[in-house]
Formats: sequence, structure tokens, C-alpha cells
Amino acid sequence: MTSTLSVAAPAGPGQSPGPGGRRPFGKSLLARVRPWMLLTPALLVLAVLLLWPLVRVALFSLQDYGLREIVSGEPNWIGLGNYVEIFTSEQLWAVVLPNTVAFAVLSVAFTVMFGTAVAVLLASLGRVWRTVVSSAIMAAWAMPAVTGTYVWVWIFDADRGVFNHVLQSLGLQDAPVNWFTDRWSFYAIVLLNVVHHGFPFVAITVLAGLLGVPKELLEAAEIDGAGAWRRFFSVVVPQLKQIFAVVIILSTIWDFKVFAQVYLMPGGAGSNREVLNLGVWSYTESFGQNRYGFGSAIAVLLTLLLLGITVAYVRTILKEEEL
Amino acid sequence: MSRPSTMARAGKGVAVALLLVFTLFPAYWMLVSAFDGKAGRGSSFVPAEPTVEHFEFVLTDGGFDVFLRNSLLVALATVLVSSLLALLASVAVARFRFRLRTQVLMLVLVVQMVPLEALVIPLFVQVRNLDLLGTLTGLVVVYVALALPFGIWMLRGFVAAVPVELEEAAYLDGATWGRMFRSILLPLVAPGLVATSIFGFITAWNEFVFAMTLLGGETQNYTVAIGLRSFFGQHSNDWGAIMAASTIITVPVMIFFILVQRRLASGLTAGAVKG
Amino acid sequence: MRRDMWTRKNVGAVATAALVALGVAACSSGSGDGGDGTVDGEGKTLDVWIMQGTNPSADEFFDDVSAAFKEETGADLNVEFVEWGDAHDRFVTSIAGGTTPDVAETGTTWTPEFADAGALAPLDEFVAEAGLGDDLVDGLVEAGTYDGELYGMPWYAGVRSLVYNTEIFEKAGVEPPTTWAEIESAAKAIKAEFPDKTAVAVPGDAEFTVYPWVWGAGGEVATQDGDTWTSGLDSPEAQEGLKFWTGLAKDGYSSAGATTWRETDVLDAFAQGDVGMAVMGSWTPGAIVEANKDMEGKFAAVPIPGKDGGMSPSVLGGSHLSMFSTAEDQDLAFAFIEMMTTGEFATQWGEQAGYFPGQKSLLDETLESTDPLVAPFAQQFVEGGASVPVSPNFGAVQAKLTTSTMMQSILSGSEDVETASAKAAEEMTSLLNDGN
Repeated sequence: MTSTLSVAAPAGPGQSPGPGGRRPFGKSLLARVRPWMLLTPALLVLAVLLLWPLVRVALFSLQDYGLREIVSGEPNWIGLGNYVEIFTSEQLWAVVLPNTVAFAVLSVAFTVMFGTAVAVLLASLGRVWRTVVSSAIMAAWAMPAVTGTYVWVWIFDADRGVFNHVLQSLGLQDAPVNWFTDRWSFYAIVLLNVVHHGFPFVAITVLAGLLGVPKELLEAAEIDGAGAWRRFFSVVVPQLKQIFAVVIILSTIWDFKVFAQVYLMPGGAGSNREVLNLGVWSYTESFGQNRYGFGSAIAVLLTLLLLGITVAYVRTILKEEEL
Repeated sequence: MSRPSTMARAGKGVAVALLLVFTLFPAYWMLVSAFDGKAGRGSSFVPAEPTVEHFEFVLTDGGFDVFLRNSLLVALATVLVSSLLALLASVAVARFRFRLRTQVLMLVLVVQMVPLEALVIPLFVQVRNLDLLGTLTGLVVVYVALALPFGIWMLRGFVAAVPVELEEAAYLDGATWGRMFRSILLPLVAPGLVATSIFGFITAWNEFVFAMTLLGGETQNYTVAIGLRSFFGQHSNDWGAIMAASTIITVPVMIFFILVQRRLASGLTAGAVKG
Repeated sequence: MRRDMWTRKNVGAVATAALVALGVAACSSGSGDGGDGTVDGEGKTLDVWIMQGTNPSADEFFDDVSAAFKEETGADLNVEFVEWGDAHDRFVTSIAGGTTPDVAETGTTWTPEFADAGALAPLDEFVAEAGLGDDLVDGLVEAGTYDGELYGMPWYAGVRSLVYNTEIFEKAGVEPPTTWAEIESAAKAIKAEFPDKTAVAVPGDAEFTVYPWVWGAGGEVATQDGDTWTSGLDSPEAQEGLKFWTGLAKDGYSSAGATTWRETDVLDAFAQGDVGMAVMGSWTPGAIVEANKDMEGKFAAVPIPGKDGGMSPSVLGGSHLSMFSTAEDQDLAFAFIEMMTTGEFATQWGEQAGYFPGQKSLLDETLESTDPLVAPFAQQFVEGGASVPVSPNFGAVQAKLTTSTMMQSILSGSEDVETASAKAAEEMTSLLNDGN
């Protein structure tokens, strides 16, 4: 029986079995073009829709582009002026970036860990319970982020929130506390909100991965004498590496860009300067003031940053062939 | 395998109970407020004034009968198109080794990285140039673009995990590519397709910024996300309507999930291949 | 023979010819602007954007307006309702994409912003021609004037005054305050009677509830000298006002949650019956009753007391009707604007929406009202109305929440009034002078 443990390796370079079992020898033109033919529809959608707008964003970033320029349609070039302003902004380096990065690290960690734990739990449940519990989890994901944020705000409301109510009736505090004014408690609530909203995505995706591991592989390994942990690490985890890659990358991207969950919180729209994160700061500094050029520059930098993080992560965790 | 001990089973039960409480706690508050005539900041544990007037309002004057239909159309179209395109693209990326492969994989993620607000004006002009302004088609195209990266990455792993030998065996048995696709590839990548479609559905279902920008004044094409926003007034918020609308928004997603999640486990029971 | 030219037959012919000639001349001058202002819009459609939600009966209202407009000008009306939250983005994208309406409702702080960008058309000529120059509410005219020209036609406005819970006041044995000292003693009495309620709401994220106290003490938010603006938030007078207002919270008469409250939160709390008094808008009574029917008849208003009596000025919040410079037929557009902002339709809109019209002569009747939820607001509107600094850059100040940041840091105890107001003044000055 052929060993089915090493299924990660794809077919040889430029080759693929065609109908009837014919294999083209060497890299014929058709073989080279075929992958691009399959990619074309997807790339077409992305390019037609986004290529030109992305170029425009880059162009805006080099201009002092405000309402006046939008009305007149005429450019207003200032070269790298916007970028200089971003890099010399004290608030950005002292408050905004630390908040954003620290929050992203924590929320990605918690979301992925908690989501994976839930996925493992779900995988071990029987059919019926798995359906029930996973559907319940969907409620957390499906609830609009706006609504969820307001509910959490109510829960922690200073005067009438259930959290303060419980603390006071347990005698743990005498008077209502406004949890939104202090930076740490503010972000703890945001973390709770974001993890709550984001863990279902991780759970469902990892669950798909867990359930998608071909049973034959596990059986083969068991027959070969591998114990449960060994099976988990040598069969399941490699399969999951790809899934973890995309889950972690997307979670990082989203948690870096968190906006509504902070903006809608009391004090989060800019009146509490200590809780500013990148999303809110860039909004109040740029689009809130009609400074579209500045906002575009921030967008360009953020995209490059996230791209860099993605590339770095992929290089470290996944080897080239595994990609 | 030995039978799980009672302790382990009890532990699992507790874990499930805690998970359900944590997950559903905010949803519970949403429901209570949706049925409460006196909905407002942190009401009580049970509706102070039970009523269904919020739901009635949202579904009639609130316009949600139309919005639900529109969102459903857009979401389903997004799921179908993005799943198809992602599958094709992932086959290309998983089965073939070509130059720029890594770069393509990285670059499709860019669409998720760019902050939406920055794209609003250029995208608006682009969609107008494509004559898709105010149409649901334009929205579907945008949402497909947003859902593709995840779909491609997700399905790539699943496609790559299908042993080439299985495909070859099918061809040797005289199957066409289509037959092979349906009976071999599809069942094995089903879990990936499920995850992709759920992601696509939710992306399309809850997205607001592009919907509001691209649909403009075409109220008959509005989606539920836009409808929800209409209850946030300039000076006061209609909390009852907001919560009722949110409940109505949450339910179809759960239904969609329940329908497709059966296929999550199909990889386990896929056609046995003796080898 | 010449004398015979003036026979009756000839006189008749000549006279008729003259009349016809005059008539033709009159019709062809301008785009059909006849003696009584009739405009010919036959076959044309006017695109209008109106904010959603201000008037619950907006649909029927605009059906009537469309009919009347069609009758007067022959043109069709295409009204699109826009959500407040999305409106600014919709305006900007429409300008960028060339899909602007002809006329639109613009919030008073947006008018200078759009005018500065060149998106709006000046209305002075039209207003003068219609003879409305003196009949428009000052505060709204001021807010709609940019660079010496009027760009926003005053449509409707509300004002913020001191709204109080009559039940709470009665139980605490308190009269509606008329001076700052009375506000303080009233708050004290309420707190004693109702320790769990908020005697007076001092919100930390509600910009417009702060300025009355600055003005009431004799300070200014910002003053303009030539082209330079200077913020007055850190002046001794302003600080005195701020100290009074935040002092009420420091003495425990407000609530812990109020530190981060926005105006919507104040309204929510007031509607639940948890607040003794608060600075709230003339548009809130309807919303309060809608949120909680039990509150009907249990609250009233007084103008915001001045320091030692009289009135503290309060911001007029409202909307203009502005004409976009892209409007094809400007006379037609103004015909619509005039129809909406004056006379019967203006009064009707005001009544239905719960706001005051922008035409002074229409207010006379409203001022006579004895409704405790109308008269005090009307009084404040006419006698104690004020405007925030009219500068296209004030939008930036609002976006950065300069005033709210100051309030929040004072209320949360992290900074004292001197430091916080100095910081806010510096930021405001810098933003107002930063010509972008």
C-alpha cells in the first residue's frame, strides 16, 4: 500500500495528469498557460475592480487632496509631504501604534487560541451537539459588529450596566465605575468584544480543517503504531498549517484595522486621546477632516506594513514548498 | 479507543455549557431589547414591556422585507461566484508550480489589507465608469473580490491534500475530468468549500461601507446593513428597532450555516479508495 | 395726413403691438423670470437630497410640495432621502463622481465647508430679488455665510435649552433655575432626595452642551482677527464657565457614566427618568416620549440660565438648503428653495419636524405659544441663539473632538480645568488657522 502520509507534495513541475492519463513532457506552452487560465477569472475580478482604485489611492497619497480638489478635479501635488507628516507625528508613535500593535498581538493570540480550542471541542462532539453548538457560535459571528459593540457597552455601562450591578451587589465595589475612561479597562472590553466576534471564524475554519483530514491518513498512522499525540502532530498539524496560516494572517489584518469596535465605545471616537488606535486616529486626522490625501498615505503605509508582516510570517512558518 | 471516562464527559459538558453562555450572552441582551417596549441602555434581564412592535415596524416601515431579499440575493451570488472562482484559482495554485505563484498568493490578500475608507472615492468612480453604480451586480463583484483571498487560500490546502494518485486512478478507470471532479475532488474539498461559502456569505451579508457608497440613492436595492444604520438617528437612536433589526439580520446567517455545515464532515465519508 | 395716424383703429393696433412687445421682452429676459417670480421648468427635473428622519411625515409632505412645485414651475421634483450618518460621505463621493443633486439639505456646519471647496452656488442675488434679506434668522444666516456671501438658505433650526424632569423637581421641592447658583442648589436638593439618580447631567462627549457655559461667563469659543483665528477656551471667563459646569459633576451631582456620554446617551438616560435636568435640544421632546411613553407630560424646559440671571447663549443647530454649483437651472433651484424655506411649507415642516423655521416672520406665532415645551425653546432661539465659529476648518475641530477631549479629561480627573482648556485652546487655534 502506498504510503499516504506525504500527500503534501504536488505533482511534478509543470505537470498534471490529464484525462486519459496523458502527461505532457517538459514544459509545453499549454502546461505553462493552464494555471494562468484557471487564475484569470479571479484575477480579472480583482484587477478590474481594484487595480485602478489602488493606483488612485497611491496618487492621492502624494497630494494635498481635500474637498476643494475633489470639486475642481485638479491635482495638488505635495510629493512626500503626507508621509513626512505621518512619520513625524508624535501621537502616532507614542500612543496610536503601541495601542494598535499591542492590541493586535493580544487579540490574534486570544482569538486563534480560543477558536482552535473550540474547534477541537466541536470535533469531539457527536453530530447533533456539534450542529447545535456550532450554530450557536454562528450567532456571535453573524451579529452585526455595530450591535455587538453596543451590547458590550451596555453590559459595562457605568450606571446601569449588569457588570457594575453584579460587582456592587457582591460588595466588590461601592460606587459605579466608568470602565471606559481608563486605557487598560477600555481595551480589555474591546478585546472581549473582538475575540467574541472573531473566534467563530477561527473555530469553523479550523474545524473544517480538522474534519477534512482524510480518515485514511489517520488510520494508516494508527496502523503504523503512532499514538494519539503523534498522530495529531504528524498528520493533523501539517494539514492545519495552511489553515492556521490564512487564519492568523487574516486575523492580524483585521485586528490591525479595528475601527467600529473602538469608535463606537464611549470616548473612543477621539475624545479620549489615550485609547486612540490606528483606525480611529487615521479617520479623525484624515477623512474626518476631509484630508483624503493624508488618509490615502496612511492607507498605503498600512497596506505595506500588513504585506510585510504577512510575507515575514509566511517565510518563517511555512516553507516555500508547503506554500 | 477506550470509552471516555465520566469525568471527561462531565468536563466536556461543562466546557460546552460555558461556551454557550459566553457566546450567547450578548445575543441574549439583543433579543431581550428587541422584544422590549422600553428598549434602551442596558435594560433588564427580561423585557420590561414585552412587545413585538419593533419587529413589525422593522419589517414594514423599516423596509426590511425588501432589504432581506436584496441581501439574500447578493450574499448567495457572492457565495456561488467566489466559490467557483476560488476553486479554479486554488487548483491552479495547488496543482501547478509556476513562476510568481507565491507573489500571486500574497497579492490577492492586499484587497483585505487596504483600509476601506481610502478606497471609497476611487472605487465609487471606478464602479460608475463600469456603469454598475446603484446596482446589486456591482456589489456582488466587490464582495467576490473581498471573499476571494480567503477562498483561494482555504481551498488551496484542501486541493493540495487530495492525493494525485486518486485522480490518476479515476482517469485510468476511464472517467472524464468532470466525473473526476464531481466524485473525487469535490467531496474531499467540501469542508473547504463550506468554510469559503460561510465566509463569503457573512462578508456580503454584513458589509456596510461599500454597500452604502455604491448603492447611493437606490433605496430599493439597499441591503440589511444599510437598513440597520437607518435606525441610528442624528440625535437619538431607536434601540428597539436596532435590536429587532439585528436579530432579523442574525437569523438567516445561522440558517445558511445549518444548511451547509452538514457538508463539513463529508470529507470523512468520501468515496473509499483502496490503494 | 399725419394727424390721421392716430385714429382709434391705429391707436388700438399700436397699443396692442406695444403690449405684445413688452410681454415678449419680459418673457425672454432671464430664464422666464416674470414679474411675480414664475419660473419655467417645463420638462425639467430637480434633484434634491433631504436628510432622513427629521420629519416623520416627510413622505406626504414632499408629495404636497411636488404637486405645488409642478403647478408653479412645470418641473418635476425628485427627492432622495439620505441618512445623516452617511450624508457627508454621500456628498463627497457624489462630487467626486459627478452625481451631485441640484439642491440639498446641508447641516449648518457643512455649508461653509462645501462653500469653501467651491461646491455651492452663492444665493445673495436670489435672496435679494425675492426680498427676503431682512426676514431670515440671524444665527442661521451667519452660519451659512462664507467669505461674505450667503451659500446656505436658512431652512430650520432648533436650539438647546435646559430640560428638566417636572416630577423629580416637584418631589425635591425645587423650582426651575434662573441663575447658575440656583442650578447648583437645585442639583443639591435633587441629589439629596434621589441619591441614585443623576441630578444634572454633565456629559463629557457633547460639544454643544459646553459652549453655553463659556458664553454665559462672557467668554468666546474662538474669535477672528482678519484672517487669524484665536480660540478663547482658556480665557479666564471661559475657564470660569467650565469650572462651574464641571464643578457640578465634581460635587457628585452628575453620574460616573456621564463622563463619556454623548447627547444621545443623555437623552436615553433622561427618557428613563433617571436625570433631573440636562441641556437638550428642542427636537428631543418627541424622541423622549417615543422612547418612553410614561414620560409624557413629565418634563418641561427653561432657557439656559445666565450666570446672574438672563440667558446663556446656546448653539442654533439646524439645516440650510444649499444649491450646488453644478445645478443646471439655478432659477428653478431657487424657486424650490424659496418654496421650502418660506411661507406655508416652512411652517408646516417646522410643526411636523419639531423645529423652528428660518424665516423670522413665521416665528411670531410660535413665540406666542404657551406650550412649556415650545415657548422656552423659542425664547432661547430668538433671544439667546449663537453660532460656533463660522470657518470651514471648524469641521476639523469637531472631527478631532477638541472640546470633548477637554471635558473628558477634566471629568475623569486626569487634568484640571486650566491645563485641559489650555491644551484645547491651542489645538483649536492651530486647527482653525491650518488652511487646508
